[in-house]
Amino acid sequence: MDLEMVSYLSKLGKLYFTDDELKKTAEEMTSIIEIMDTVKEIDVTYNALADNKNVYLNDLREDASEPSMATEKILQNAQSSDNCFVVPKVVE
Amino acid sequence: MDVTKLKIRDLRKMLDSKEVSVKELASEYFGRIKQYDGKLESYITVTEENAMAQAESAQAVIDSGKASALCGIPMAVKDNICTDGVKTTCSSKMLEDFIPPYNATVMEKLNAENIVMLGKVSMDEFAMGGSTQTSAFAKTKNPFDFSRVPGGSSGGSAASVSASLCAGALGSDTGGSIRQPAAFCGVTGLKPTYGRVSRYGLVAFASSLDQIGPVAKDAYDCAVILNAIAGYDRHDGTSSKVPTEDFTAKIGQSMKGVKIALPKEFYGEGIDSEISKAVLAAAEQYKEMGAELVECSMPSLKYAVPAYYLISSAEASSNLSRYDGIKYGHRSKIGEDFNELICHSRGEGFGSEVKRRILLGNYALSSGYYDAYYGKALALKQKISAEYDSIFEKCDIILTPTTPSVAYGINENVSDPVKMYKADICTVTVNIASLPAISTTCGYNKDGMPIGMSVIGKKFDEASIIQAADAFEQNFTPAVPKLI
Repeated sequence: MDLEMVSYLSKLGKLYFTDDELKKTAEEMTSIIEIMDTVKEIDVTYNALADNKNVYLNDLREDASEPSMATEKILQNAQSSDNCFVVPKVVE
Repeated sequence: MDVTKLKIRDLRKMLDSKEVSVKELASEYFGRIKQYDGKLESYITVTEENAMAQAESAQAVIDSGKASALCGIPMAVKDNICTDGVKTTCSSKMLEDFIPPYNATVMEKLNAENIVMLGKVSMDEFAMGGSTQTSAFAKTKNPFDFSRVPGGSSGGSAASVSASLCAGALGSDTGGSIRQPAAFCGVTGLKPTYGRVSRYGLVAFASSLDQIGPVAKDAYDCAVILNAIAGYDRHDGTSSKVPTEDFTAKIGQSMKGVKIALPKEFYGEGIDSEISKAVLAAAEQYKEMGAELVECSMPSLKYAVPAYYLISSAEASSNLSRYDGIKYGHRSKIGEDFNELICHSRGEGFGSEVKRRILLGNYALSSGYYDAYYGKALALKQKISAEYDSIFEKCDIILTPTTPSVAYGINENVSDPVKMYKADICTVTVNIASLPAISTTCGYNKDGMPIGMSVIGKKFDEASIIQAADAFEQNFTPAVPKLI
């Protein structure tokens, strides 16, 4: 895997790497992709209709309001101000 | 008598007959934790104060004569299971100070049983690894030999049970993370059928494969813990409505006529000969008990590791996108704008293995690669499941080694991700096919390190694998770890 690809993937994953880390990761990813490539040897096709038979996605609760988690609990692990999450300035 | 060496059911009798109080019992375990865990490093957080308060409540329930199976039993919990008010770090700098605002469903269930939680135990970061050496906080050792790894990712759960630093523990298993450390540390670990136990409050790694399960001194104790945590949960859309049962019910039943399959690929190339010999000797013991051995094959086993890593990493790359340094988790001091803050928070918070999995997942899912990798892995998941279905047409349970080697030296494999991935060959197919499996010790190698064997069952037939593991354990004397 070349540096350009690792750099592209790290942007997708929103991961900051230093140049040295990026180089080391590219080497490691190359050997990882080599094992992943073995799946290309076999001719099999995925049947989407056969999957998720046991997932009860239609088993929804009644559409009625229930007590929510307290605001202070939701914010207890965040940098917050006036009951809001604090983020860097996003508008010019 | 050293009560910490006893099994859960024996502790139950002692607590109910008032031979020991809940507080006395908990204190014995905390004494051992203080004595040994400095070197073993199985715990990340010890919750002595909370535990003593829980002990008082449990004692009141026992005194009222209404104790359930786990009332007053000292247990440890893997640090990726949310505990309201108690730090849950996932062994990651990303969650170093994270205090969950709610309990996982399994914790609600265990608290309803009045367990005494001794603390939260170490693991590989975000459950990604098989050594517990990717933990940012406690790189747990193997109780049989401190120079070796305990396995992982539930290394803290297995090591703490093995070293008698708790009576039982919860782990989680995405590709072998309960069974492999149980094998390395000489204890019993059970991965339930996908959907048997609620995943609500389990920090998500690969949602289609993750499952919470017990680690204990033997199969009977695993069944007792599973009885407490199994069952449908409306908070988890993938939890199953298949009714739960008493998982101890088949214990003690004869193995006569039980058909046990031995898939030849699990005993061939890449598996240490001492291990295959020990598991095949166990198969012969089952035969002596009246079981029938059936030869069979799983041709797709050689594709299982890449299929597993492609699926789990694809899901991980999506699941871990929630860590942005804003709502919770590590927040970088660098970052003038929104995007920069997120990239630096994630760059600083995640360790190298977690980053590699995110990159691999993004690669497998990205345009131009999706069909060749992720699509192929999903097709292989169906093929491997079909091969299991076909084997189960001819047998009741399947017997395999749990690991290709015994616990290896710290730093021996951990810096080589490819070597680490390949070592998962014996366990990943069980998660891919959503099956239940239990690992128990079946022997020791020339250096005295434990060898684990896995009994794999049909979906929702945990009772049969517990029965089989227990039948073997009845004629096996486990070694006591040296703790050096």
